[in-house]
Amino acid sequence: MFHMYLPIAGNGVNVLLILGLGGFVGLLSGIFGVGGGFLMTPLLMMFGIPPTVAAASDSNQIVGASTSGTLAHMRLGNVDIPMGITLLVGGVAGGTLGVQVIKLLKAMGNADFLIAITYVIMLGGVGGYMFWESLQGLKKEKIQVMQPMAEPVKAVAPGKSLIQRLPFQYKFEKSGCEISILLPLLVGVLVGVLAAIMGVGGGFIMVPVMVYMLRMPMHVVVGTSLFQILFTCINVTVMQAWTNHTVDFVLAVLLLAGSTIGAQIGTAVSKRLKADQLKIMLASLVLLVCFKMMAGLLMTPTILVALKGGH
Amino acid sequence: MEWKKNIMLHKIITFLGVLTVGLLVTATPGFTADELQLLLSTDTINITTFYNGTTLEATGTVPVDSDVVIEVSGPKTDVHLKEKGKVLGLLWMNKNDVSLANAPADYMIYYPENVSQELIGSKTGIGYGVVEKEIVIEPAGADRAFIFGEYVKLMEKSGVYAMNKGGVSYGAEADGVKSFSATLKIPVKMKPGSYHVKVLSVRQGAVTAELNREFTLQLQGFPAMIAKLAFGNSLLFGIMSVVIAIGTGLIIGVLFKGGGGAH
Repeated sequence: MFHMYLPIAGNGVNVLLILGLGGFVGLLSGIFGVGGGFLMTPLLMMFGIPPTVAAASDSNQIVGASTSGTLAHMRLGNVDIPMGITLLVGGVAGGTLGVQVIKLLKAMGNADFLIAITYVIMLGGVGGYMFWESLQGLKKEKIQVMQPMAEPVKAVAPGKSLIQRLPFQYKFEKSGCEISILLPLLVGVLVGVLAAIMGVGGGFIMVPVMVYMLRMPMHVVVGTSLFQILFTCINVTVMQAWTNHTVDFVLAVLLLAGSTIGAQIGTAVSKRLKADQLKIMLASLVLLVCFKMMAGLLMTPTILVALKGGH
Repeated sequence: MEWKKNIMLHKIITFLGVLTVGLLVTATPGFTADELQLLLSTDTINITTFYNGTTLEATGTVPVDSDVVIEVSGPKTDVHLKEKGKVLGLLWMNKNDVSLANAPADYMIYYPENVSQELIGSKTGIGYGVVEKEIVIEPAGADRAFIFGEYVKLMEKSGVYAMNKGGVSYGAEADGVKSFSATLKIPVKMKPGSYHVKVLSVRQGAVTAELNREFTLQLQGFPAMIAKLAFGNSLLFGIMSVVIAIGTGLIIGVLFKGGGGAH
């Protein structure tokens, strides 16, 4: 009952299960501005969807979820379009570069090992730092509430840093920062390379990078990240369907139905949470996936061969 | 002279009679081919929108002193695997590439509960051991037994390989034959294509009769339409997938705007 056949995946799925998975990932997408590729693809694989079909169909559903999420954040004034476009241009360039890096690694052998190690290091590093930083933020907040009369810390005016001396300075209004366009462009390239190597949209790298490197406000980060992810995933969906025939339309529609609703609920939830609470929740999630991957690397598998394909 | 002719004729007739009986004794496997019969409940299975795998009923008759073994095999295919191994003596990773050529995409054996393992093996020409011999494993230096064993585990996990002991049950006996039936599983992961069903009648470890049937799995209706579009007009399919995703996102976005309150 409630089963549906997926002609591209070549497998049947429980409709309610896929709706639930979509809803869960959509919720995360709405709350954190993370596309969810790093969670959705392994989850779909767990339910018997081939890796390549899982990744490509997930990109398709992210298009829908990001459209819904971006629209909701645009209404709230949370999308910095110039910043999003700059990151996107860098991301596309980085993604292309990343694909070549993967090709090179595969030719050298052991690409899978490097991909997994990159995953664990990135997830562990980003998740760990975010968790620690958010914990410090929550502690400070507590102290400030307890000592309302305490002297405000005076900001120390720094000299012109290297970043401030870079050419093509631009004032990103919504992000509240004046920086060189080169900086988000380079960040985009970096994230694009990593996203291509890791085979995901890159939202979970992009969000912390925007928060910590570009110092953008958390709510603008979420909206802008969704905006950038939307266009990245449009590109990936068309390319995957065209060249690899791996986009399962039926699976994507089912995931979409759950995820678009989840994204709306997530956006509403994110407005009710404090920035540090949001960060600590995302950090916990990233660390959880990191630990799961580490366990997979350390424990002896029950079957010592795997079908080739996907990461 | 006449009596000599009669004797000669008699000898020839006797010789021919003995020869005929001899030939019948050596050529007949103990029963006529009609005594092994097989009927499949259908020869075409349609994969429609809500398809979640199905079953196929195999029924027939076999001599009372024989057993039945049924083999279901899918199209031969090339499988590309990654062999897992430890890196730095600590981390389990997909390491070496291994290819299996001429491997059946699906392979299932059904046999009765109370029979010896003689039914499966080189004597009857069916079973995993026989499949292994037909498969070409690359690189040639790979540990065949290990690779094939792990491959079978992987396929059994996804439900497309199976040894179903007790999968054949016997019914009433009459006129030297007994009826048999088996419910053949058609897992949802079985791909569209042509499948082969082989039924063997086995007595004391030796095959005494064999029957072969085919059945087809085919996409129908909505799944067929989607598959045709995805493989026939892939660029259009990709653009269509994006447009529908954006459309759904926008509709949901507008719907939520109405009741979304503060945001």
